[in-house]
Amino acid sequence: MKKTLLASAFVIIAGGGAAFWLLSAPTSLEAGALGALEEPSAERGEHVFWAGGCASCHARPGADGDARLELAGGVELKSDFGTFVAPNISPHPKDGIGDWSEIDFANAMLYGVSPQGEHYYPAFPYPSYARMTAQDVSDLFAFLKTLPEVEGQAGEHQLSFPFTMRRGVGLWKLAFMRDEPVIPLAPAASEAEKRGRYLVEGPGHCGECHTPRNFAGGQLYDQWLAGAVSAEGEGIVPNITSGEGGIDSWSAGDIAYYLESGFTPEFDSVGGAMVSVQKNMAHLSKEDREAIAAYLKSVPARANGYPSSR
Amino acid sequence: MKKIALAVTALCLSISGVAAADDPIAVRKAIMQANAASAGLAGAMMKGELEYNPAIAKAAILTLSASAKSFGEFFPEGSGDGDTTAAPAIWDDAEGFQAALDKYISDTAAAVEASGKDGPADLAAFQAAIGPVFGNCKSCHENFRVQNN
Repeated sequence: MKKTLLASAFVIIAGGGAAFWLLSAPTSLEAGALGALEEPSAERGEHVFWAGGCASCHARPGADGDARLELAGGVELKSDFGTFVAPNISPHPKDGIGDWSEIDFANAMLYGVSPQGEHYYPAFPYPSYARMTAQDVSDLFAFLKTLPEVEGQAGEHQLSFPFTMRRGVGLWKLAFMRDEPVIPLAPAASEAEKRGRYLVEGPGHCGECHTPRNFAGGQLYDQWLAGAVSAEGEGIVPNITSGEGGIDSWSAGDIAYYLESGFTPEFDSVGGAMVSVQKNMAHLSKEDREAIAAYLKSVPARANGYPSSR
Repeated sequence: MKKIALAVTALCLSISGVAAADDPIAVRKAIMQANAASAGLAGAMMKGELEYNPAIAKAAILTLSASAKSFGEFFPEGSGDGDTTAAPAIWDDAEGFQAALDKYISDTAAAVEASGKDGPADLAAFQAAIGPVFGNCKSCHENFRVQNN
């Protein structure tokens, strides 16, 4: 009897292990799978670069001006799971991504999988980037290749068990990644709202900080953009819907002006991690900032996604 | 007219702050509100919502200058607790905070210098003078302010 129990336990554990192994397997694209795209354009790619906020994590900590184009890495994201360190993504062949193929890059951006076939941690916001078009990814890769090569690797992530097991990220992806649009827009939605949805939900990855998460770090899509306790510990990230505590009083023009200048309608200034994001947004076209504003005015109103401090 | 009233309010706010020196959190909030009112005037002129006026421009610059010279005095040890968005880094990285204050002081002093006796001659001159001052809002709020609600 005891033997049977042991055997059953073994079968269950082995079965569980096999299921874990199958379910957590990295998915990626084969060479040539990006499909028929236009010739990559570094010029368009620069626009994607600013929309995607790459410099905010991959430039050196505190970098400003042209130094934001030197993607040495080194910014640390201190989370409940440990400290993630953004890597060097300059075109340096050894320390950066200089020897990557376009497919390697697309697998990283759209599937969160490295050229070695391992999962990346979602501190790299590929759950949002997965909503990007293959053309934008291809153009972005072309632009990154024009940037300066920077020697030297950033430090390793400092994580504790079980988060050290990358394979587990496969299950996280199954549970929490959603590459279709978060907000179903009405068929009559304007072109600006559609473009804004793409920018916010895809490259802009706004939801990564502005949407609350569950205990496992999965986004609570029913509280999309409702604001959240900062993942890095101090303070909150504001509610940017029109719900209670949000930005209902801001006009679309106010939102676009904020993204351009860094000033709120009350002429308070942008602060915290958003300072770097706003610098990126200032590089976008006026139309794209207006599109983001149009989308934010159309997302469902939600009350604050973080507990009141009062 | 409303905007001119705002300019006057900005100046008054920066002066009234001094009277409440026993409550540093209240004083620094009043100074920041004066800054915001000045930035509001500057922004309205830059956006073309308010016609450019050198005297208003100078009032905005001088308000920011008064703020720059006094603001750093209202962060005594222990004033990080309470109804404030001051980040712990103000005290944990006192040297960095002082460097940010010094930059703010020197950028506003340069703007005062550039605005001369009658204020910057035109909008372009005003933008050139106040632009570097506004850079301080973001860079200081990036590291030394925490959003609480």
